[in-house]
Amino acid sequence: MRKGSLAAIVLPCFFSLLFFFPLTSAAKPIKVGVIDCYTGPAAMFCKEALNGFKMGLDEINKEGVLGRKIEFTTRDTKFKVDIGLSVAKELVMREDVDLLVGTISSGVALAVSDYCKGEKVPLIVWISKSERITGEKGHRYVFSTGENTAMAGKAGGVALAKKPFIKYWIAGDDYEYGHAIADAAWRNLKERKPEVEKIGETWWKVGEPDLVPYITAIMGAKPDAVIFATGGGSMVNVMKTAKVTGMSEKIAGWIHTATDIAILNALGPGAPEGFMGTADYYFYHPDTPANKAFVKAFQTAYGPYPGFPAFHGYITAHFIAKAFSKAGKVNKEKFIDALEGLTIDSPAGEIKMRACDHQAMLPIFMGVTTKVPDYDFLICTDMISVTGDDVLPTCEEIMEARGK
Amino acid sequence: MEIGLAALASQLLVGLSRAMILFIVCAGLSFVLGVLRVPNVAHGSLYMIGAFVAFSIFTLFGSSSTGFWLALFLAPLVVALVSLIAERALFCHLYEREHLMLLLFTFALMLIFGDLVKIIWGADYRSVMAPPFLEGSLSIFGSSLPRYNLFLLIIGPVVAIGLWLFTNKTKIGKIARAAAVDREMVGAVGINVSWVFAAAFVIGCYLAGLGGALVAPTVSITIGMDHTIIIEAFLIVTIGGLGNMWGALVGSLIFGVTQSFGALLWPQFAIVFPYAAVVIVLIWRPTGMLKSVW
Repeated sequence: MRKGSLAAIVLPCFFSLLFFFPLTSAAKPIKVGVIDCYTGPAAMFCKEALNGFKMGLDEINKEGVLGRKIEFTTRDTKFKVDIGLSVAKELVMREDVDLLVGTISSGVALAVSDYCKGEKVPLIVWISKSERITGEKGHRYVFSTGENTAMAGKAGGVALAKKPFIKYWIAGDDYEYGHAIADAAWRNLKERKPEVEKIGETWWKVGEPDLVPYITAIMGAKPDAVIFATGGGSMVNVMKTAKVTGMSEKIAGWIHTATDIAILNALGPGAPEGFMGTADYYFYHPDTPANKAFVKAFQTAYGPYPGFPAFHGYITAHFIAKAFSKAGKVNKEKFIDALEGLTIDSPAGEIKMRACDHQAMLPIFMGVTTKVPDYDFLICTDMISVTGDDVLPTCEEIMEARGK
Repeated sequence: MEIGLAALASQLLVGLSRAMILFIVCAGLSFVLGVLRVPNVAHGSLYMIGAFVAFSIFTLFGSSSTGFWLALFLAPLVVALVSLIAERALFCHLYEREHLMLLLFTFALMLIFGDLVKIIWGADYRSVMAPPFLEGSLSIFGSSLPRYNLFLLIIGPVVAIGLWLFTNKTKIGKIARAAAVDREMVGAVGINVSWVFAAAFVIGCYLAGLGGALVAPTVSITIGMDHTIIIEAFLIVTIGGLGNMWGALVGSLIFGVTQSFGALLWPQFAIVFPYAAVVIVLIWRPTGMLKSVW
């Protein structure tokens, strides 16, 4: 056989191999393991976050990332650390996921984060709010696309310092989130307004159904304002109780995310007016075309208005897609490098993933509950915006917390 | 913090009103425990279903006062119907089994009910509003007492009297009491025990539904509310005396009032108070405050 004819056979084979190889790998999707709580009172937030994430992925998968699609598989943590940890391990070891995403429980997030650090698997935390996740306990493999207690507490502290209240009472759910948000808010408030005085604290168990005895006892102490450090269904309970006991008319109250649509919609017209709340997203604020388009798409797909969980789920999907496309290949270390300092366009404007601590720089909006004719539930008005730059602890503070 | 007598008195009333809800739920649990000897872990689920059905009826009638009263009347009946179906289809075949088996069975039922509620009503938080005249609070001894809690303070004794009349003045009530003491004997004198048991079970579950409907305006109605109540309910019937309905009342009063005083006296550690009371009672009287029928 002549050399030329050999080349004529080998070369096309070689090029076709080159051509087909990426095609075969293109068929393998990027796998995201979603661990979250799909049973119990926290389930509604987790389902909404998942819906936001799915919507983001649907948009992304129309074109794909690096010629691949992004797929996900979910596991229920049941809000329990041991279960969360075991499903995380199962997803990493058996399902061979490229990264993990979740969860609403800070306890689960911290435990899984520790595991991911050892296994060198990226974890993006989307709705747990403990500042320790990207603060003291932060590391190379953990990111957060949700606001945390340090940010919410700072925003709350900054805004409360502008109010005339002096005597404060702190009350909340006796778990990681409750204590973290209370500490952050109080620390920031006290720094900005040293004359404030904490006259007492009340802690009830998570899921405590009847808060009347607690609230009436607090009312008896006559504070000017109460910092409520509660999450989930407790927010509904607190606001209901504040209304039935008449507390909301006499004593000011603030809860982070109390003004979220999930809470105000559940309470309907029965929500107390003038209650202070903070959140990093409202479906009616910011009033921009991007946000309107997001709300419309979410409502078309799932029905209800999107709240903060849907927003976090949605931006998480976009952070993942953009990071993989910037990394240029599906590689965990390259993904992390790409995600550090990455900026995406979101319904609430541009959001940057800060490189030093892996925390998304989300703005926080504080407002008060108000009845409006447009909706059959209360919404938040008199909005004060605090930018991501202003609510985040500095990189130096983070490094100090990490003992570096 | 200075605590005046007025604050103590008002806090006592709040605690008593909480005890009333607990009593209504626990009386049902205790009744089933006493007559049927079934440790019904799914009792909390029926309480949750009561609250969700109350929410549905309330919203069906445009979130009006009429809706509230209808919900209060109909929701426990719906729960009673659900329990009748469960009793005739499942429970009636299992009474002779060991307690551990029954415990596992009712635990399974709790998980099934929990998922059914999630399928039917979803995971969203729900809320029911009390009629306007029950909203807001009254000033008692200078402290505020929600009107709705006052309403509960009236309903609780009404239910207690109703139960007393039922168990002491009606034939079926007397048979149920007799069956609680010695069910073989009741069967031996020719009474159809099967239907007595069905009736007792349905009444017990009706009370769970009533508790759920009554609590609806004061809490967020959500999946998971079954777990919270069932733990408290079992503690209460244990400290009251297993299967003794009046023990359930005593237990509820201890639990409700210590919780309420805990919130006033040592708010940082308020969680501990009712459980500490349970421990003290059990050390002092291991079989409960009143005579256990077990």
